[in-house]
Amino acid sequence: MLRTTLAVVTALTLSTSLVQAQSAWTGGDELPTSALACDGTAATPVAKAYDGGVPTNPPDRKGKEITVVDVPKLIGIGYFDATSKGIADAAKEMGNMKATTDGPTEANIDDQITVIDNYITQGVDGILFAANDPVAISPVLKKALGAGINVVGYDANSEPDARQWFVNQAEFNGIAKAMIDSLAAEAGEDAPFAIVTSTFTTPNQARWIAEMAAYAAACHPNLKWLETVEAQEDNILSFNQANTLINKYGDELKGILGMTSVATPASADAVTQAGKCGQIAVVGLATPNAMKPYVDAGCVKSVVLWNPVDLGYAAAYVLRAAADGTLQPGATSVEAGKLGPLQVINGSEILLGAPFIFTKDNIGDFDF
Amino acid sequence: MSVEAAPSLRPQRGALTRFVSAYGQEVVIACAIVLLFAVVSAINPRFLAPNNLNTIVSGNAYIAVAAIGMAMVIITGHIDVSVGALIGVLATISGTIAVSGAPVWLAWVVPIFVGMGVNAIVGALIAYGRIPSIVVTLGMLSILRGGLVSVTGGAWINNLPPEFLLAQQRLLGVPVPVWFMIILTIGAFLWMRYTAFGRSLYAIGGNAEAARAAGIPIERRIVQVFMIHGAFAGLATILFATQLKIIQSTVPPNLELTIITAAVIGGVSILGGTGTVIGSTLAAILFSAIGSALIFINVSAYWLRAVIGALILVTVLADMLRRNREMQGAGR
Amino acid sequence: MTASRFLRHETILAVLVVIALIVLGAQSDKFFTLDNLLNQGRLMTEVGLIAIVMTFVIITGGIDLSVGSILGLSAILLGVFWKNLGLPLELAIFLALCVGTLAGFVNGIIITRFRFPPLIATLGTLALYRGMAEGISQARSVRGYPDWFYILGQGQSFGIPTQLWLLVFVAIVAAIILGTTTWGRATYAIGSNETAARFSGLRVDWVKIAIYSASGFAAALAAVIFVSRVSTTRSDMGTGIELDAITAVVLGGTSIFGGKGTIVGTMLGLILIQALKNGLSLAGVKSDGTIVLIGAVLILTILVSNVIYRGGTR
Repeated sequence: MLRTTLAVVTALTLSTSLVQAQSAWTGGDELPTSALACDGTAATPVAKAYDGGVPTNPPDRKGKEITVVDVPKLIGIGYFDATSKGIADAAKEMGNMKATTDGPTEANIDDQITVIDNYITQGVDGILFAANDPVAISPVLKKALGAGINVVGYDANSEPDARQWFVNQAEFNGIAKAMIDSLAAEAGEDAPFAIVTSTFTTPNQARWIAEMAAYAAACHPNLKWLETVEAQEDNILSFNQANTLINKYGDELKGILGMTSVATPASADAVTQAGKCGQIAVVGLATPNAMKPYVDAGCVKSVVLWNPVDLGYAAAYVLRAAADGTLQPGATSVEAGKLGPLQVINGSEILLGAPFIFTKDNIGDFDF
Repeated sequence: MSVEAAPSLRPQRGALTRFVSAYGQEVVIACAIVLLFAVVSAINPRFLAPNNLNTIVSGNAYIAVAAIGMAMVIITGHIDVSVGALIGVLATISGTIAVSGAPVWLAWVVPIFVGMGVNAIVGALIAYGRIPSIVVTLGMLSILRGGLVSVTGGAWINNLPPEFLLAQQRLLGVPVPVWFMIILTIGAFLWMRYTAFGRSLYAIGGNAEAARAAGIPIERRIVQVFMIHGAFAGLATILFATQLKIIQSTVPPNLELTIITAAVIGGVSILGGTGTVIGSTLAAILFSAIGSALIFINVSAYWLRAVIGALILVTVLADMLRRNREMQGAGR
Repeated sequence: MTASRFLRHETILAVLVVIALIVLGAQSDKFFTLDNLLNQGRLMTEVGLIAIVMTFVIITGGIDLSVGSILGLSAILLGVFWKNLGLPLELAIFLALCVGTLAGFVNGIIITRFRFPPLIATLGTLALYRGMAEGISQARSVRGYPDWFYILGQGQSFGIPTQLWLLVFVAIVAAIILGTTTWGRATYAIGSNETAARFSGLRVDWVKIAIYSASGFAAALAAVIFVSRVSTTRSDMGTGIELDAITAVVLGGTSIFGGKGTIVGTMLGLILIQALKNGLSLAGVKSDGTIVLIGAVLILTILVSNVIYRGGTR
């Protein structure tokens, strides 16, 4: 009985694995990619009609004090600590927004939904969110819109019609270009490299990996992808995985791409402790404070990221503008305090800017 | 989980047979490790390079150390599902002290005592409050996890002083975590086997009423075991917190399950009364080796968890079959 | 016997629930609204279904840690059967339920035939089933179900969230089975003294296998509702739900050593936890503070119950 069961399960498993489409690199998703031009000329933006949602009969909130809750993927990591700081900064600056941050203590879709649901009942005026899953979060966000609440996303999107606007930190293909260009410049055009990511299911990471594969194929065709390993959001596991990659490939390995703010410093530490600084280039997404020791020591040359404090700040301003009615569907830009006007792209997304590359020269200027 | 009174009638046979029957599970795991190393290194010889062995053995050292305390708790017939959250709290305390400018030894020692203090409460609730351990530690899991986030607000600790980073040091060419693991494992093993206190843990787990009749102060012992377990959590924290230049305010998801799994795969019977900490340490090394091996032989990491699950069942099954055969051999 | 047991822990718990409701209701006028209460019912259905069957499991002196992983595996297979194998959704749901039941059945076989302690067996299958969910899904989610499917998780029937009917139905059936049938008596007998139960002619193994299969079925049913509620499948669905379910069951007075416990207690435990989560949030307490309180309530309730009645543990 047990044997038959196992046989059936194995057969089923193998067959379904084969049915699934695969991205060029493990860990990427199957969505279509749009690689940027190699020289960086921006593609002409395709005009797209507003595809976001609209809150049902919101009360007139123009200029009035509003209460806003910020629900990040999880609380307890440096990155969302920084976005929440940005939101608090913006709220203080505007003076007519009361913002709190609350969220699950683990990146768990169900807990995040429950938190949002409770705030809908409580009757907040606005919700800022970073989705753990773009689809799973959508029903509860639609419920919020239906209750007349202004809903704005940042960092990780939902389905477009489940929120009004989404503040995009940097386009996926922009991040992909910055990462691959930096890798090729530091490790060489024909360098073999590996990727350390969180999990293959994390939407942003999967998107970046798919975009990187597409961009590398077009612009740096000789870069040799070796493999992608998962390390969750766990810094010791990230460190172990990076070490294992170094041990496995020996001198063949020339580069490691860290896809999370946890994986990148841990990979840099693995390279440092293995005494391979200068032989293995570490390029990745990370926050400057975590990377300063490695950048100052010369072990890491470039860290790719947007400024998460600015991301939270912009999200708060966008929410205010949406609540005031000054940001309407069809707008092409929005004023975001000290950041100035931000551009509207893809119908209902607001672009924070191009990804920022931290180097030894400028990393000391940032504290988050 | 009822306490099963299993009479341990060991047949009198040769020294080797006796060794195998006394340390069956440990032998099974050691064989599994050797087999894994043989197969993987045949595919990719770099698997056996000293650097990789260091990575494998030191990578899970903190889990092995925490599993020692867990094994003691399980041997007395209890369980602790809050240890992962406790390690998270202790790591933050350790890091906070380290960056405050206090001497680094304080940052290493304080978590050990805090761990003992927290678990003294846990042990007292179990022993004197008569609440099942799984209930107390489930509650503690929530309290510690929520409390940690409330207090830190999720900020990471950066700028750790270099001399704090103990786990990055080497002694005689061997990483410090490996020394910790070896010394603590052997020490705990000998202590549990050859001292009256250590042996009383097996007695309590084997048959609490009989132990009480034999004059063992069960309540006090339980509190003490939990305090020792807390001390091991503190020691594990030192390795966990000093491995990298950053301390996260979150711990790896399911850390408590990994630690419990290491203890039970290592042969610690969840019914209490049997098992050694050598097995749990070997199991922690085995996990680490499997993770590394999957990368070396290019098996998709998608299947990692399935492999570990199957492994749990297979090793325990092997142990059970061995015991059955032994019982039949003894004419039962 | 039933009456005296009922008077013990469940009374304290019921009083506690009432106090909690009054206090929480005083903190926020949004708490005692029909919408909110029904919505909370919706949110607790998945844990509730699992906790109800977990009550049986724990009464036999066992435990089932693999339910969260069975939930994840069933959810993934629901999507795979429907999207990748192109089966009708009704059939895919049926097969997903079968797979969940089978997974529970396998637990039962491992526990009874191979004599594994339940904690180890289900710790193993916790990793195994989750690993299979991850391996089979290869990180792909399945989305875009037909509209009728969402009625189950997001819609209402007769003014009440659809899944809440299901929860109430399952709770009543379970309470009847446990309280009045020979099956229920067998469940208690196994937990009180398995050897005695065996000698008195009960088919102990068969009852246990049935209970673990039911546990798998409940997890799969929770999976279907969960997928319908969030409209997608993910391999990490249900992670940690086993601890939530166990918390509700032990808070409800079921002894972890077996032989003692009721469905009423479990439901009260569930309601207390959900009321705390919701009420505290409405009162402005953040979720990290809420889980601290739930942990403290769990320990204190059992402690108080023990102090008053001086029994329950061995």
